[in-house]
Formats: sequence, structure tokens, C-alpha cells
Amino acid sequence: MAIITFQFKNGTHITAEAVVGANLLNLARDYNVAIDAPCSGNASCGKCRVQLMEGDLDSPRTLHISEEEYAQGWRLACVSKVCGDAKILVPDIAFAYMSRMKVADLSSGEEIAIFDQTVSDLKEAGIEFENDLRLIPVTMSEPTLDDTMPDNERLLWALEAATGVDDKKISMNFQVLKNLSQVMREGNYQVQCVTTTHGEGLRILNVLPGDTETKICGLAIDIGTTTVTGVLVDMQTGKILEKASSGNGQIRFGADVINRIIESNRPGGRKRLQKAILEETLNPMIARMCKAAGIPVGWIYRVCIAGNTTMNHLLMGVYADPVRTEPYIPTFFHTSAVKAGDLGLYAAPDARVIVAPNIGSYVGGDITAGTLASSVWTKETFSLFVDLGTNGELVFGNSDFLMSCACSAGPAFEGGDISCGMRATDGAIEACTIDKETMEPTFKIVGEPGQKPVGLCGSGIIDVICELFRCGIINAKGIFVREGKRVRHNIHGMGSYVLAYKEEAASVKDIEITEVDIDNFIRAKGAIFSAINIMVSSLDFDVSMIDDIYVAGGIGSGINMKNAVMIGMFPDVELSKFHYIGNSSLSGAYTMLLSNQAEAKVQELASGMTYMELSTNPFYMDEFVAACFLPHTNASLFPTVAEAMAE
Amino acid sequence: MPFKKTPQKFSAAIKAVEIGTGDKKTVLGGEGVMPLYSFDGPIENAPKVGVEIVDTGLEGEAKGIQEFYAGCTTPAEMAAKAATMEGADFIALRLESADPNGANASVEDCVATAKAVSEATDLPLVIMGCKNNEKDAQLFDKCSEALAGKNILVLAAKEENYKGVAAAAGLAYNQKIGTESAVDINLAKQLNVLVTQMGVKGENVIMNPGTAAAGYGFEYVVSTLERIRLAALGQDDTTLQMPVITPVASETWGVKESMASEEDMPEWGSRDDRGVDMEVATAVAVLAAGSNAVILRHPQSVATVSKLVKELI
Repeated sequence: MAIITFQFKNGTHITAEAVVGANLLNLARDYNVAIDAPCSGNASCGKCRVQLMEGDLDSPRTLHISEEEYAQGWRLACVSKVCGDAKILVPDIAFAYMSRMKVADLSSGEEIAIFDQTVSDLKEAGIEFENDLRLIPVTMSEPTLDDTMPDNERLLWALEAATGVDDKKISMNFQVLKNLSQVMREGNYQVQCVTTTHGEGLRILNVLPGDTETKICGLAIDIGTTTVTGVLVDMQTGKILEKASSGNGQIRFGADVINRIIESNRPGGRKRLQKAILEETLNPMIARMCKAAGIPVGWIYRVCIAGNTTMNHLLMGVYADPVRTEPYIPTFFHTSAVKAGDLGLYAAPDARVIVAPNIGSYVGGDITAGTLASSVWTKETFSLFVDLGTNGELVFGNSDFLMSCACSAGPAFEGGDISCGMRATDGAIEACTIDKETMEPTFKIVGEPGQKPVGLCGSGIIDVICELFRCGIINAKGIFVREGKRVRHNIHGMGSYVLAYKEEAASVKDIEITEVDIDNFIRAKGAIFSAINIMVSSLDFDVSMIDDIYVAGGIGSGINMKNAVMIGMFPDVELSKFHYIGNSSLSGAYTMLLSNQAEAKVQELASGMTYMELSTNPFYMDEFVAACFLPHTNASLFPTVAEAMAE
Repeated sequence: MPFKKTPQKFSAAIKAVEIGTGDKKTVLGGEGVMPLYSFDGPIENAPKVGVEIVDTGLEGEAKGIQEFYAGCTTPAEMAAKAATMEGADFIALRLESADPNGANASVEDCVATAKAVSEATDLPLVIMGCKNNEKDAQLFDKCSEALAGKNILVLAAKEENYKGVAAAAGLAYNQKIGTESAVDINLAKQLNVLVTQMGVKGENVIMNPGTAAAGYGFEYVVSTLERIRLAALGQDDTTLQMPVITPVASETWGVKESMASEEDMPEWGSRDDRGVDMEVATAVAVLAAGSNAVILRHPQSVATVSKLVKELI
């Protein structure tokens, strides 16, 4: 047995016992030490860097660590084996993903306005914003020696009198019953009941003393593979009381859904992953929001969750392996059987958990909710809805038909798989221009003015690659072809461009984008574009027939559509056709939370949507290879880019 | 109703690319019809047949090849002999000895060999590398310099080394450049785009979009060649209008049907016959799918394929 001490920058530490030969990353996971490992320990991403302070580790130097850094004790956790007592410093970078995450969609008024816009769009389409939660004030007569009816019957009779619903059809939660006696006396037989319709009758979710000021709250959550965001909502007014976001706690078990499913199949894995999302991610987030709003978690009576198929399977602890193996069959598309109490989610135990329905193994509730929020289905003209995440999902259609498909883009849009990539937190470069003559870059950085750059987030990567291409620094394959002060090559001949030298950056090393990074991103954008092209051409359409393109996802409102077209990520259509609609999964969930009709509409949209499986499409590979070029192998698809490059 | 012939007309054509100098120079491509469709329109430049000689000697070669070159001790002597083959249009010298994982001959030695071969024959010359990207880039650079004015074809630039090859062979010494990709129409096109973006004229490029021996995933080769031709002619895709050359011998002589000795496989019959059959079958198939030139090794294969071409066109 060896003792490994995980030391954190904030002074705290965790002590772990390990057998000699144990893998350091697995050990950290067992002890809940958060080390970012998007590649799930394949030594390919280089993100799980830790610093050896005392003792020894059996750990080879990899490509991701320079000799100088190795001498300073930097190691990759995933390739390190315990060989004796050691003290390990876990850098803050590994913590960044759990906290200080920029709420990509709610940070500005303009992004809040997207929610209001969604609601008014849906109202215009005929969706009424009514739900079945009611706050009913009830006055009862005091019991006497002559009137010995028990408290619960007294309440049901009074409720029948107030609502006209037969008291036999009113039921109450056990938790409510337990506290009923005190509440009734405290309120002097004046109480308020929170009820919801239940079949033909009513279900009492909570009973409060009559004079208490209370709120009926709801919770809408988007569970992304990488990021989780949520809003706490006043169900009577629709007002957003609080908002929060956090990294998905499952991320240390793998960056993509496939690695998560594999992990969930290991002994105890399903429990571990459920715990990571529920107890380590959602519940702390809910507690934070409720505390800030000054309400108890028990006032949340309705929850709506939108997430991809794998995420909602893992959240509920459902066996997910068939999702990743042929013929890709999930356990459920739609379920209405879940209550907050069943999951242990912080909310009233009887609160219904609405899960936005899936329509395929790789097109899940985040897309069906997002489809509702985008107005693809309300118009006769053709629209394309693109959700850029770890998986890219597309919906194309109009008020008559909807088609969807998914492609694996990898984590590049969210800054993963990119050596200097990061999510859109403080220090992320979100926009960039490069001078064609001097090859010097100019940045826009997330955070306070004066914030030094730390890395690149999704929208920044698009800009950097576009600018490098525009300036002729890289060729259409993403290979460096121009020499300059900021262009360098390592011993393997791999080129890179230095965005910021370590003196200019808030980082321990130079921030540079390498040919491998560019290649990863080109593959991600190639996956998206080829999916668009295949889906549209499978209907014998071409991209000029698309009237609107709705872009959603955590890539951020900073995304420069012109640059995204320049690099061939989106089709070359008028820029006015592009609309950034923020986190549509969350805004869709928000509307489903507030409106029964919206909830029903999502079910209807989901059951009427055609799912196209790209992985079995014989043309996909060909299209994909053609799209892995800047902007595209078939230059005639991008006429305006050709013009711009000619200038 | 009488049969009415409707020729398939294209407004585009494959570029005509000339290699070599003097009387023996030869032209690849130039046609505006699908491969071998001489009934649809004229094919002025019939497909060409090249003879491959390897600079590492004749050891392990089939008996028929060894007998043909009997008495030759250097690649130059072999080239002179190869030029006498009936139907040989050009000589392809493969500098196998340069392979750093093999004999690792110096670039200077290889250039000397290439010069000697060039002097020994007046047929156009194709220089093939050793499949090591870095070494090939150096070889093509120096050979292009040494053989300046001879209008040789270097085979080939790949995605990994196209910059150096295009700059030296294409721009500095004005030779012809082959672009090699691995049986994928998009990768073939991308490489042509990259090479032409460097300033090499499309008229100086001949592409090798890859091949396999017949029976070894060959349907991909056929489909790729055919789609390249359809895009070039039907869609007037200028980045795919380069003529196609296919090094057949280096593929077919590496499969078991051509390599297994008669002692090991008596029931398979003569090794020469098998090797020639593989070479001819593959060559004819790529010509039918869209290739403008094939490179063969066995004298009997060269004779058979060139006779076939002569009778068809």
C-alpha cells in the first residue's frame, strides 16, 4: 500500500491509499478528485496534467509534456502508475471545468431575450402557456369534540368545496401527510395547497400555512455531454428567478457519450455515472439556485430535463449499452413515469420530471426540445436547425415534415481535442483577427478587461483557423505553408502558430494552435457540413433552398457566421439567413416546463420526425473526406469564399 | 426501328501532357470521351505502356524477366534493353535502393543512376521513388536538377511531401509532376488543388489516384477512376482533368499469385504465366476504367497490353 496525497492549489488535500501499480487517473476518480480527462485516459488529449511534488511515479514522458516540464514534475495522470508514497499537485486548470463556467447562454440580456422571444414565437404559433400546477387557498373549520374528522379528511373535504373535485379523487403525498397536522394548526386552519391534476382528480404536492408567502417553482435543465445549464422559474409568472451552469461531472469518465457508456458498463459504473450527474452536478446546482432565490428546494414542483439519449439514460441509471452497439436501440424514447423522489433530485418528492423525448440513439431530447424552440416547424419555408455540441445534430424541414440526423463532431466545438482548447470561461479567446502582413494576432477575450489569454474556445478556434487560412499561413489541408516569427515546427516537423507567448498569457506554457488541432477541427466541421449536405441532397434539394439556418449550442453567441462559412462549416448562403438561438435545448425545456401544450407539442414533433442514420449511409464517408478541406474539395459549393480568397 | 448511335458528347477534355523530348516523346491524355470509347469521339493519344526497371537488380524476379535482361549489370544497360521491347512507350526507373530502411543508397548515387539511364535510352523517363516521403522529395529534387530539359515525370508527390516536390520538380526545373493519393476521389482532387495552388500548371500534372492488384479490393479502384473521369468530363472539373498513370507492376508483383514459387505451389503452374496474367488483367482493367498509361515489368505483359491498345484504338 502506498499513500498518495492529492494537493489542491487552495490548500486542501485528499489522501488516498493505493496499491503499487495502480493507475493515477483511476485512483483520482475513485477518490472523487476531479482531473479533466476528456479522452478518458488514452494519453491522447494531454489534459490530465498533474505535478509531482514529492515521492515518485512510474510515468513516461509523452508528446504533451516537454522535457523541461517533465523535469519540473509535470506528468499525465492517465499514464502514471503508483510506485510508492507521493504528493501530487492537482492544478486549477483541472478545476476550471467544474466552476466559473461562463453560462454561455445567459450571461447577457440579449441571451435572456432569446427566452422571451421563444415564448412569444410559440404563443404566436398557437401554443397556450398553461400548466396544471395550482395554488389553492383553503379555509377549514376548527375541529371540536363534536367534529372529530381527521386532518387529512378535513382538508380533502375543504378542497372539494373549493375546487368541485370529488374528494375520492384527491390524493396526497406521504411527506405532506407527515407534516399536515402542524401546518394546519400553524395556519389556524387556513392553508394553501399546491396541486396538480392527476388523471381526473388532483394530487396535493404540498400544503403550507395560509399566511406564508410562497411560490410555485419549476426547474428546466439542459444536460449536455460537456456542460449542464439550468434555470429556476416562477411557474405563475414565467419569470426566471435564477440560472446556473456547471461542467457535467461525468466528464472525468470520458469526454464523449461512447466512453461514458463504456464506463457505465464497468462494475458499479451505472451508479457512479448517475451519482456524478445527479449528486455532484445537478443537486449542487439546484441548491445554489434555490439559496440565491431564497426558496427551499421543496418548492420545485415540476422539472423538465432535456438531454441527449445517452445523458437521459445515464441520469436515470438505465442500461445504455444497446445505444452504442448495432442496431443502436435505446431503452426508451419517451417516459412519463419519473418523479423527482425516484431519482433523488432536489425538488418536491412528487414533482413530475418531464424528460424531453428521444427520437433515436443519437438524436435525443435536447434536439426535440430545441426543435420546438427553433421555429422550424411553424413555417412553410424550409429551415435548418443545427445544434453544435460534442455530437452535431441537424433538423431540416418545415411545417409539413421534419428530418433529423446526428454526426459525431467530437468535443472540438467546445474546446476539447484542441491542445490549447478550453470552454468559454475566463481567459478564453472568443474572437481573433490576424494581420496578413505582419501575421500578428488581435484577440477578444472572455472575462474582465485586461484578462490575459489562457486558451481558445469554440468560436475562437473558428476565427483563428479562418484567419490563418485567409492570410495564407495554412493551406486548405490545415498545414503550415508560410514561415514567420509566430510559426514554428517541432522535432517531428509538426507546425504550430503561437497565439500568445507564455509571458503574454495566464498559462504555464505558450498558447499555440498546432496542425493536429487544426486537423481535429477540420474533421469536426467536415462532419457537420457533410451531414448538412447529405441530408439536404437526400431530399433532392440544394442548400440554396434553405431559407433560415438556426444555430444552437454552447459554442457561444460570439460565433462569427462569416468565418464559419469561410472555413466551410456552414453552407455558403446569405449571412442574413443565419440566426444564433443560444441554448435551444434549455429554452425548449423552459417552454415545456411552463406549458402543457408545449410539452404535448414536443411529443408530437418527436413522433413525426424522420431519423436518418448517417453511419450506414454509403455516401457519408465520401462527403466527409470532401468536406475535410478548407473550405471544401468542391470549391463550387463556396463561391463567395473563392471570391474573398481571390482578393 | 433501326439502331441509331448517339455518341456521348462532353464539352470538356482531359489535358494532354507530354513527357520526354525529341522523336520519342509521348503524349498522355487529350481525349474528350470515356476511356477507350473511340466510337464516341477521337482518341488521339492511345494509352501508353511503360517498362519498369528497378535499381536493386533482378534477384527474385520471374524467370522471363531475368532471361530478358540476361547479361545486363546496371540499370542503364537494363534500360537500353527495355527500350527494345515491342510496344514500350517510356521507361520507368524505380529507385528502390534509396529506401532508408533498405539499402539506403545516397541521393548522389541515385542521381548518377538516373543520369546513366537517361543517357542509355531516348525514350521518355519516369522517375519513381522508394516510398519514403522525405527521401523521395530529395531524390525528385536532385533528379529533376540533373535531368533538366529532359521533361521527365517524377512519380509522385504525395500529400506529405508535395510542397518540396512541386517547388523543385514543377517550378524550378519545369518537369512533370505525378500526384499520388490512395484510391479516394476527394483526396486525389485535394492534392491536385494544393499542387496547382503552388503555381504548378495543371498541364504539367499527371495523377496516380492509386491502384490495387486485380482481386484485391479492385472495385474501389474502378469506382474511383470512373468517378474521376465523369467529374472531369461531365462536370468540367478542371482539378480532375489531369491524365492518369497507373504503376501496375509494383502492385501485382507483390501479391502471392505472382510471388509464390513453383516449388511451393506446383498446382498453380508457371510463375511467369501467373505474374503476366495478374499484370495484364490489372492493366487492362485500369485502362478500361480511365487510366492513360500503365507501368509494367514483364516483356510479355508489355507486348500483350500494347497489342490490345493498338487493336482497340
